[in-house]
Amino acid sequence: MAKTIMIVDDSASMRQVVGIALKGAGYEVIEASDGKDALSKLTGVKIHLIVSDINMPVMDGISFVKEVKQLDQYKFTPIIMLTTEMEEDKKRAAKEAGAKAWVTKPFQPPILLAAIAKLVLP
Amino acid sequence: MTAKAKKNDGILQLSIKDDMTIYNAEALKETLLGYCRPDTRELQLDLSAVAEIDSAGLQLLLLLKAEAQRRGFILRLLRHSEAVIEVFELLKLGMYFGDPIVIPANWKKS
Amino acid sequence: MSDISPALETFSQEVDELLTAMEDALLGLEAAPDDADCINSIFRAMHTIKGSSGLFGFDDIVSFTHQVETVLDKVRNGERSIDSELIAVLLACKDHTAQIVQHVLFNEDEPLPEELQQQSQMLIAGLTGQSAAAAGVPSTQEEKADHFEVDPNTTDSSDNWVISLAFKPDALRNGMDPLSFIRYLQTLGKIVEAIITMPELLNFEDVNPQSCYLSFKIIFNSGCDKKTIEDVFEFAEDDCNIHILPPNSRQEHYLQLLDNLPEDQVKRLGEMLVEIGALTEKEVMRTLHEQWDDANDEPKPLGEMLLEKNILQQPVIEQALKKQESVKQKVNKESNYIRVDAAKLGYLINLVGELVISGAAMRLMVDKHGLSDVDDVASTMSHLVEDIRDTALQLRMVQIGETFTRFQRVVHDVSKELGKQIQLQITGGESELDKTVVEKINDPLTHLVRNSLDHGIETPAERLRAGKPEKGTIQLNAYHDSGRIVIQISDDGKGLDPDRIFAKAVAKGLIKPDQMLSKSEIYHLIFEPGLSTKEEANNLSGRGVGMDVVKRNIEALRGTVSVDSELGQGTVVTIHLPLTLAIIDGFMVEAQKERYIIPLSMVEECVEMSSEEWQIDDVQHYVNLRGQVLPYLRLGDFFHKNKKHTHTQRESLVVVRFGEAKAGFVVDELHGENQTVIKPLGKLFENLNGIGGATVLGSGDVALILDVQGLIQYARKRVNPTLALSSGI
Repeated sequence: MAKTIMIVDDSASMRQVVGIALKGAGYEVIEASDGKDALSKLTGVKIHLIVSDINMPVMDGISFVKEVKQLDQYKFTPIIMLTTEMEEDKKRAAKEAGAKAWVTKPFQPPILLAAIAKLVLP
Repeated sequence: MTAKAKKNDGILQLSIKDDMTIYNAEALKETLLGYCRPDTRELQLDLSAVAEIDSAGLQLLLLLKAEAQRRGFILRLLRHSEAVIEVFELLKLGMYFGDPIVIPANWKKS
Repeated sequence: MSDISPALETFSQEVDELLTAMEDALLGLEAAPDDADCINSIFRAMHTIKGSSGLFGFDDIVSFTHQVETVLDKVRNGERSIDSELIAVLLACKDHTAQIVQHVLFNEDEPLPEELQQQSQMLIAGLTGQSAAAAGVPSTQEEKADHFEVDPNTTDSSDNWVISLAFKPDALRNGMDPLSFIRYLQTLGKIVEAIITMPELLNFEDVNPQSCYLSFKIIFNSGCDKKTIEDVFEFAEDDCNIHILPPNSRQEHYLQLLDNLPEDQVKRLGEMLVEIGALTEKEVMRTLHEQWDDANDEPKPLGEMLLEKNILQQPVIEQALKKQESVKQKVNKESNYIRVDAAKLGYLINLVGELVISGAAMRLMVDKHGLSDVDDVASTMSHLVEDIRDTALQLRMVQIGETFTRFQRVVHDVSKELGKQIQLQITGGESELDKTVVEKINDPLTHLVRNSLDHGIETPAERLRAGKPEKGTIQLNAYHDSGRIVIQISDDGKGLDPDRIFAKAVAKGLIKPDQMLSKSEIYHLIFEPGLSTKEEANNLSGRGVGMDVVKRNIEALRGTVSVDSELGQGTVVTIHLPLTLAIIDGFMVEAQKERYIIPLSMVEECVEMSSEEWQIDDVQHYVNLRGQVLPYLRLGDFFHKNKKHTHTQRESLVVVRFGEAKAGFVVDELHGENQTVIKPLGKLFENLNGIGGATVLGSGDVALILDVQGLIQYARKRVNPTLALSSGI
C-alpha cells in the first residue's frame, strides 16, 4: 500500500517539483498551499508524513504543526519542516510544537527524499 | 469495531479488522486485555485484515505474547497479512512468535 | 527529468507574481517605511524564489536571492532600517532577479553572462557594503563527504555492526516510528539479526500503548561508514539512545588510520577518534555530557567511558591512547627547549671557531719544537676541541621536518582554492641542518611548492583523463649526501614541456632558435630571469619572477638547484645545500706558495699529475682519468694570471665533485685535512671569482677557501666539448 505524504508550501512550483519527485519514488501526494488549506484537507484521509514550509501566508508552519498535534487522527504523524539556516529560532519553535525532523532550504529533491525515507519508506 | 471474536471452550478467536497503529493502539489494547481472562486457554489472533502495522502495533503483539506467557495461555497468530509479514521479516520475529506464517501465492515481495 | 517542464512554467509564473508583489510592497514602503506586511511580502518573495530555484538547481538565482534575503531578514528583525536608498537598490534587485530568472529559464545549461554576474555583485555590494564572495554563498550542491566509502558488497558476512537503539517513551507520539528507521537501515545493508527487548515485569494492563517500551539490538552488515549509519537515526536523536559498535574489520582499519595520523600536535582522544571515523561527533558530545552528568565522583576519562558504554572496542581506544601518549612525548620533547638568543649562540660558535684555530696553532708549535711530552696533552685537547665544535654546531642544527610540515596547511588551503585534490608526503623530516640555512630556505621552498600546486598538479578531471589517480601527490624529501643536505620537491603532475620552454626562451631572446640544447639544459632555462611557463599569472606564483629568484637565494647559501621532469609524469626539483655556513672540514693545498682550502666534502681523490699515467691535454686543459674526460685547472695559473710561474717537479691533481660535475685542480703541494672557520670576505672582495671566503690558519697566515662550484664551471667551460668527444674519450 503506497504511503501518502502531504506537502504544505505556498510555492506552487515547490509543490509541483516535490510532488513529481515523491510520486516518482512511489508515494501518494496531497498538496496544500498553506497551513489552513492543509488543515482543511486533513479529514478522513490517511497521511503518513507531512512536509511543511515555515514561512507561509494565511497560516504559518509552526501554527499549523500546533494544530495538527490537536487532531486525534493526525497528531502522531511525523512532520518534516523545511527551514532555512536563518530560522534557527523558528526551528526550535517547530521542534517544541512537535516537528522532529527538518530539511534545510534550499535543497534538491534527493535530499528531501532521503529525509522522508528515513521516516516513511514508500 | 476493531475486532470480532468467537468463543469456544476456552479457545478464543479474534479477528483484527483494522490497522494496528498508534492511533488505535489504546482501543486495541483494551480489547485484547478483555480476552486475557483467567479461563482463557488459547487466544487466536487473525491478522489477515491488518492493512498497516507500526511499532505501536508490533509492541502490542509483543506485550500480549509476554502477558500470555505470564498468565499461562497460548497466543497464536494466524493468517498474517502482508503488512504483518513485512515487519516480522524485517525483525526476524517469526521464530519468536513461533506461529507458522503462510505466505500467500500472490505475495508481492517474495 | 523531462516531466519537469510544466513545473518550470509554474515556477516562471510564480516568480512573476512574487516579483510584482515585491514591487508593490516596495512602493508601499516609500509611503510607510515601517509597514511589517510590506516588509514580510518582500522577504517572502526572495525567500520563496530562493527555495524554488534551489529545487531546480539554479545556483545563480539561489546565491543572489540569498544575499538579498539576508539583508531583508535584518530589516525584518529591525537590525537595519529601511530608507529610500535601500528601496531603490531593492527595486533594482527585483528587476535583476527577473533578468537572471529569464536567462536561466531560457539558457538552462549556460553560465550566467559576465554582465549579469557583475550586476549581481554590484547590487549585493550596494546592499551589504561588501563583496558577494565575502558574504558567504549557499549552494544547492551537497558538500562532498570526506569519509571513505567501502563497496557494500565486499564485506565479510561474519563481520557486523552492532546497533543498539533504546527508544524513549515519547518516540511514537513524536512520530518517530522505530520500524521506519530500521526499514531505512535495510536500504544500506543487511539486517542479520534483530533482538527486541522490553522492560521485564511489564504488566499488560498497566502499559500505555502509545508509549514506546522497545529497545533494539540490530546486527547489521554493511560497508557504510559510521557517520552514514548514524545519520539514519538523525531525526530520532532526541527520542532514542543510539550506540553503534563498528565491526571487527573496521577495527583494523581504524588502527591503521590511527597510525597514519600526523604527529604534529597533541589532540584530544575524542578528536583523534572522530578524525579517523571511529567515533562520530555526536557520540563524543553525548559521552562528554554524560561525563559531566556523573559529576558526583571524579569524572571518568573519555576512553574509559567509551569502553564502558561499549561505543568502541578496546584495541582501538588503547591504540588511540598510545598514539596520544607518543605524540605527547614527542611534543614534550620538542617543548623541552631553552630559548637562547641566536646572537649569543652565534657568538659562541664564533669563539669555538677561534678555539679551533688556536688549537691548530698549538699543534703547530708542539710539532715545531718537538715537545713529545706535550704531544699527548695536545692530542687530547684537540679531540675535545673537535667535540666542542661539533656540539656547538649541533646547537644550531634543527630538523627540517618542521619546515616541511608547515606546507601541509599551504597545500590544503591552496588545493581547495584551486579545486584540486593534492596530498603532501613528507619524508626525511629528521634530517638536520643549520638554523640559519633553514630560515633562508623557507622562501624558495614555498615558491617551489606553490609552483607544483599551481602548475604541476592538474585538476582532478585532467588527471582522470590522463589515467592518473584523482588525487595528486607532492613530495618533500630530505637526505644527507656527502656532507650536504639534499632537498627534493617532486610532484606527479603534468611535468615540464621542453618544447614550450624552448619556444618561450627563444621568444624572450634567451637562446637562439637554432641552438641545440639537451633536455636538462632546456629545463635549466626555467631558472633564467623572465621565464615562466604559465601564460597567465595568478595570485600565487607564475609572474615570471619566481624561479630565477629561487635559484639566486639557493646559490647565496652555497647551494645549487636543478630540475628534472618527464612530460605527463611529473617534475623533481633538487636542492643541494651545505649543512652549515660557519665551519667546514677543509682540505688544504698549496699552489705558487699560496694556501687554499677546498671543502673536504667535495674532494673525491688526489692523484699524482703525471703525463705518463694520464693523457694530459695541455691546450684543451683536460686529462683522461681512467677513461673519463676531466677538465682541470692550475690553481696557480688561475689566481696569478700575470705572474710567471715555475712548475714544480711533482704536481698533484685534486679531483673535486660538485653534484654531478667533476673537475681537477692542479696544485703543488697537499697539506691534508684541516678544520676551517669561514670568515666572510669583506665587501670589497665579495665578487672575486673562485673564492668563497677566507680563514686564518694556526700560523696566523690567511688561506683562501675555494668556491669549488664556480671553479668547476669555469674549468668545464674551457674544455671544448666537441674536441673532447672527437678524441674518443
